[in-house]
Amino acid sequence: MTRTDNPIARFIIYIALALFTLYNILPFTWTIMSSIKLPKDANARVPRFVFSPTGDNYSELWLNMAPEAFAPYGLALILIFFILVVIALSANRLPAPNSIVYMGCIFAGVIVALALPEIVNTAEFYDYLINSVIVTIGTVCVSLSIGALAGYGLARFRHVVSVYILVIALAFRSLPSMALVLPFYYLGQLSGLYDTHILLILCLVATNQPFTIWMLRSFFMEIPREIEEAAMIDGAGRLKSFLSVIVPIMWPGIITTGLFTLLLAYNDFLLARILTQINWTLPVGIAQFTGGEDPGHVTLAAAASVSVTLPILVVIIFFQKYLIRGLASGAVKG
Amino acid sequence: MFVGPSVFIMLALMTAPLLASIVLGLHYITFRNLDAPVWVGFQNYEEVLGDPEFWDSLEFTLLFIAVAVPARIVLGLMFALLLDQVTRFRGVFVAAALVPFVMTPVVGTLIFRDMFDRGGPYWYWMQQLFEYRLFMNSTTVPLLIIFHSIWTATPFAMIVLFAGLQTLPQESLEAARVDGASWLKQLWHVAIPHLRSLFVFIGLISIMDAYRVFDSVFVLTSQNPIYDSETIMYYNFQVALTFGRLGKANAMSVLTVLGIFVVLVPFLVMTYREQTEED
Repeated sequence: MTRTDNPIARFIIYIALALFTLYNILPFTWTIMSSIKLPKDANARVPRFVFSPTGDNYSELWLNMAPEAFAPYGLALILIFFILVVIALSANRLPAPNSIVYMGCIFAGVIVALALPEIVNTAEFYDYLINSVIVTIGTVCVSLSIGALAGYGLARFRHVVSVYILVIALAFRSLPSMALVLPFYYLGQLSGLYDTHILLILCLVATNQPFTIWMLRSFFMEIPREIEEAAMIDGAGRLKSFLSVIVPIMWPGIITTGLFTLLLAYNDFLLARILTQINWTLPVGIAQFTGGEDPGHVTLAAAASVSVTLPILVVIIFFQKYLIRGLASGAVKG
Repeated sequence: MFVGPSVFIMLALMTAPLLASIVLGLHYITFRNLDAPVWVGFQNYEEVLGDPEFWDSLEFTLLFIAVAVPARIVLGLMFALLLDQVTRFRGVFVAAALVPFVMTPVVGTLIFRDMFDRGGPYWYWMQQLFEYRLFMNSTTVPLLIIFHSIWTATPFAMIVLFAGLQTLPQESLEAARVDGASWLKQLWHVAIPHLRSLFVFIGLISIMDAYRVFDSVFVLTSQNPIYDSETIMYYNFQVALTFGRLGKANAMSVLTVLGIFVVLVPFLVMTYREQTEED
């Protein structure tokens, strides 16, 4: 559309967008401030934007020990992660293949993360983080592997049955999760899977599957058939040509879909709330901060909010391009 | 072969629970007789339909749709159009808009509540500028729930519509420009008709979301019933887990599904036609 040249109009447009930006980020900025306040600053009648910061809230949230006692362990942890990052970055110069170096670094990182509660006295919040990470990664992996197969099949084999599957999937996409989760709760209670990661992962995979196959299918449709036909002429089977030719060029689409699945799995509250008893994930853990009269409560809730949000913001900033592309492509397909 | 695992998952984990929901809805089940449900026929349905709280929650859900859906579309379009006018700092504006969109809803609501709670900046500024003292009561809490949903969903509408604006038919715009059509005329005659399918898309997503609103109600009410702000989904949850009436809750979710399908069927038929025509 025509852009205006009027300097006053342009100035107003920038002001409006700046205000919109402020409206979007001010609440989280305020929470970051609250999370490093002392209770007396956070509970003031007049909002305080200048105050003396403290790390007490974070150590109370994450640790059952004095911060001074944790300091040497904290330094050791930073050192370990620093070394792992350096190894990963210099993967090209090491004698081992890159993928093995990356796998080794991830593996070592996981070992350290899992061993940490054995060495230092971490609070429950750390367990919620581990649960969240396990459930999120499990959901993304399972969801993408079966979703990519289905999306590819639906994009390539045009048949009345595939249309039925797509339409039914769309209907499922609109179901309120309550309709699914109550039977799950019931079955989980009877089968003994209640309060396990497996039940939660399966349930999240199922509820996200319709969305995943629709999105992946639309990305597969953009890839011309000739590409895998060429591979098949060279003697590769359909599955082999899918894995060795299609998947490598599909990475952007897979990352985009994975990102949305990650958001859905990490942010889910209702399913995790109903299907777990003590193995809470972060959103369930943080919901306990919804009320309370203790003056230290506000700052602790703020520290928890920042702790839950920062990982997801880091991931999104890193992959922002893919997220916006996904939203835009979903738009065009409408 | 390729579709197999996904269809299996959906059959086993969505169709089966849905059928189970229908069957369970015909039984009297509480936490005490989980393994021995009692057949009661349509008694649960009668009870749900005769429950004033069910109708209250439906009313709030419909109010939510009536306010939040148009607000999301109008605000989203407004900021998409503003974004279309600028090139500098566009990345910054979009990145900031993603913050409320990706934030965990439970956390987002907590943060939002703190802004409006006693001592929060919004609370303070409202008091200073308009001499209005905000209290959490049965009028303001439902409004906050709706406002929060607009806050989180406007960026989504904005990005979708902005992407739509980039695909406007250039010939029509050019023709309009040659004819000397003003920006408003271009918007009304070219952009809005072109974006119509996106409005439907955002509207449908928002309606589906409205039936699922749960997290923000959970946080803002702190499970305090006096705020009169239960949505369908939240009341359903309460019936199931607070009151322990699993059979009644299942009957209620079956009714909700039927309600959504009434809205959805025309859209499904449309999709079916689209997909079969493409071949």
